[in-house]
Amino acid sequence: MLYIKCPFCGMRSQNEFAYGGDASVKRPELNKDVSDKEWDDFVYNRKSLRGKHIELWHHVSGCRQWFKAQRDTATHEIFKTAMMNEEI
Amino acid sequence: MNSISSLKNVHKLGLYGDHNDKNENQIIKIKEIKNINLFQVVKYKNTEKNISNFKIDGLNLPNANKTSSNPSTRIIWMGPDNWFVFSSKDTRENLNNFKETDFAITDLSHSRSIIELEGEMIYEVLKKGSPLDVGKLKEGNCANTVYNGITITLDFISNDPNTIRIFGLRSFGESLYHSLTDSCLEFGYKSI
Repeated sequence: MLYIKCPFCGMRSQNEFAYGGDASVKRPELNKDVSDKEWDDFVYNRKSLRGKHIELWHHVSGCRQWFKAQRDTATHEIFKTAMMNEEI
Repeated sequence: MNSISSLKNVHKLGLYGDHNDKNENQIIKIKEIKNINLFQVVKYKNTEKNISNFKIDGLNLPNANKTSSNPSTRIIWMGPDNWFVFSSKDTRENLNNFKETDFAITDLSHSRSIIELEGEMIYEVLKKGSPLDVGKLKEGNCANTVYNGITITLDFISNDPNTIRIFGLRSFGESLYHSLTDSCLEFGYKSI
């Protein structure tokens, strides 16, 4: 089981969290022509890296806040967590 | 206020579990808390109001994982800029200075099932279903967590005797009650 440090509540069990996917994905700009490939990349295509990865987590059974976590996808080690308006 | 109990079909008064040869202080007491006003106070992100200037029934809005209380009102932290206010009084009067341009105030009085556990062994009961490190938490703390998969809020009322209030969504109330009472059987419990 993972232990994740919520930036608001502190160290909690993974049971309280929901995984939210890759945090580096950027939505295409509003009011701009967007190609099918750009939409595909935004909605579906992920790199699925092995190693350090920045991802979104939701403390769904806690403070209900979204935050960013830097996690190693091979070892599951979590290096850092940060609020959404912070850089990681 | 006179609300309809969410636990009236399951909360039957009496002694249950391993209570034989034990005195009242050695078993767990379970009580339903009802007829209490509950308001959610949320500060909008775009407001510049400083929460330290706001009081409810003379109480400050508490910081993360903390509560503040007096005999009639209790405020618990639910998340950043988000609090629950429990009061036996009509809380609306106390919330008059919370302008709707800065705060969202919602009456949730009928939305929760509230179960109070009292007794020496209640921390053991929590450990059976929750991954939270409850040993570190004391009177004046609160936490949102899960109990056998049900999202709950814990409010640590007292350490002498150990007393905890557990809030769950009303529709999960009966399941939560069954989960808690199953965990209490080993220690013996009294429904009051």
